[in-house]
Amino acid sequence: METTLHSLLLGFSVAFEPHNAWYAFLGCLVGTLVGVLPGIGPLAGISILLPVTFGLNATQAIIMLAGIYYGSQYGGSTTSILMRIPGEASSVMTCIDGYAMAQKGRAGAALCIAAVGSWIGGTFGVLVLTLVAPPLATLAIKFGPPEYTALLVLGLIFLAYMSSTSLVRTLLMASLGLMLGMIGIDNMTGDFRYSFNLAELGDGIGIVPVAVGLFGLGEILSTPSADAVKNVMAPKLRELLPTRQEWREAAMPIARGTLLGFIIGIIPGSAHIISSFLSYALEKRLSKHPEQFGKGAVAGVAGPETANNAASTGAFVPLLALGIPTSPITAVLIGALMIHGVSVGPMLVNEHPDVFWGFVASMYVGNLMLLALNLPLVSLFVTVLRIPYAYLYPMIIMFCIIGVYETNNSIVDVWIMLIMGVLGYALRKFEFDPAPLVLGLVIAPILEQSLRQSLIMSNGDYLIFLSRPISLGLFLVSATLLTLAAISFVLKRRDWRATLAEVEAGEIES
Amino acid sequence: MILRADHVAGAAFIAFGLLVIAISGSLPFGNLSSPGSGFLPMILSVLMMLFGATLMVRAGESRAFATLTWTDAKHAAMVVLITALAVAAFEWLGFVTTNVLMMFALLVAIERRGLLPAAVYSVAVVVTTFVLFVYVLKTPLETGPLGF
Repeated sequence: METTLHSLLLGFSVAFEPHNAWYAFLGCLVGTLVGVLPGIGPLAGISILLPVTFGLNATQAIIMLAGIYYGSQYGGSTTSILMRIPGEASSVMTCIDGYAMAQKGRAGAALCIAAVGSWIGGTFGVLVLTLVAPPLATLAIKFGPPEYTALLVLGLIFLAYMSSTSLVRTLLMASLGLMLGMIGIDNMTGDFRYSFNLAELGDGIGIVPVAVGLFGLGEILSTPSADAVKNVMAPKLRELLPTRQEWREAAMPIARGTLLGFIIGIIPGSAHIISSFLSYALEKRLSKHPEQFGKGAVAGVAGPETANNAASTGAFVPLLALGIPTSPITAVLIGALMIHGVSVGPMLVNEHPDVFWGFVASMYVGNLMLLALNLPLVSLFVTVLRIPYAYLYPMIIMFCIIGVYETNNSIVDVWIMLIMGVLGYALRKFEFDPAPLVLGLVIAPILEQSLRQSLIMSNGDYLIFLSRPISLGLFLVSATLLTLAAISFVLKRRDWRATLAEVEAGEIES
Repeated sequence: MILRADHVAGAAFIAFGLLVIAISGSLPFGNLSSPGSGFLPMILSVLMMLFGATLMVRAGESRAFATLTWTDAKHAAMVVLITALAVAAFEWLGFVTTNVLMMFALLVAIERRGLLPAAVYSVAVVVTTFVLFVYVLKTPLETGPLGF
């Protein structure tokens, strides 16, 4: 404990260095804008801005990119509450009661409760991250290839199980992502796979062109400018304070959302999206007035907004402790650190304590900055939404091209982005969620390598996965989840995932 | 029988799986105990075909293919075409010229904006971005024959 506190102090000394604090601020500001603007989610936002961090050191780069990530969670609530448009997917649930509150003239209060809840959820998440990540990293040193294989398989199955679209669709997307991850030189044998004599494909397909294409360009192709939003309301500063009754109604949902969000965050998958839905469902179930949900219930804003921020922070636990990306966003962050020569994993805390603790401390500072930024500047952020979409999207396309090209100085990557944009458009038409595809692409090389290394270790005996306690435990959890999913699949039983799919579809279309 | 969206999607995944198997012939499969470089791609292709077939079997839950709206397809196709032309010219013309032309084309050809506002906006945005990246963020951008 004493060591942790001492290390955290080191982290704060790093985070408060003027340059680092500036990049945390910049990340939070840009992240909020990314969250506010429909069409650029956190994943595309981080990917596009990745080249900007090339001139920075590793600490500054991760501080800025993480600021964009959790800043976008804050910003996403603004459009949800004021316009009933989720700036990014995890804000879908906030639309329901946030917009209803806005229509009752309580937009300012809803924004304030969302911002305070986000701050509490985010800060609690960082607090637990501070305490949990270093001991977990020590444990993770005991992980060998069989454990990594089991953990990655669990991640994919958990993602499929928790997915709001159907199990089969998620598995299809994950398989496609894994397949794309097979492109390039096979690390074990040196064979070229599916590179079609293009030297650029020898290193495989990068996550940045795929993510920017699917989420950035794909969204633009699916959104004709005539359909874009025109009416925007902006609350005045004096209307931002909630009443005492509203604070009272928000208190417990914020507390529950914090815990729930963090726990879900550490499990692989699109945790921040799932956590906000579960929090909404939980609050509705616990409420003495469930009939108020959908008509402006304070708990319907406080719970989900808190949960999605706590989950965003929770997602950093497996990233920092195990070096495993639990979502496409954390995968891009790993890529960013690798570009700066820093390997993420159990050794990070010992080999680069300044990066690890500087990053953790910057999250405390960043969450505070976001609270200070979001409330007074809400009118400014809303102004951005007044820029006609017809002028906005050409600029976004330009940033997509810069972001992708600058990562490797490769025009082939830009072509891949374009192809992925078209694929993203088609996937949206057929109601596929592209997130598992990106996750599959990211974990494909690690999964394949750890599987084959495991088999080399055991002379080809698959029982190695069942003879080691950690991997056995992880495979048992995977088997349980698959069985549960298969039962509801065969019985065609409706559960919360089906409801989530309906709510998401309804909110996004409206 | 009504053709549904999942019939088409499932068939596309099966076709893709078959295509991958067809072009994987030269990759050594190895065996279960000692997988080669073609092992996992083969497994994934088979899985994708299985999932695709499942999607087709359960396609009754999806929308009829005919009800899918394609009103945005023309907009999407034009954006892709203009962006593709820009990508093709990017390394030849450089960042500034390519992006000014691309934004101008998107605004005029697709969005039907006036020539002057489109030109002013395109030049202003691209030049500001160039200055921001090259001089403030010290991130070099691709240059063309004119040096920018």
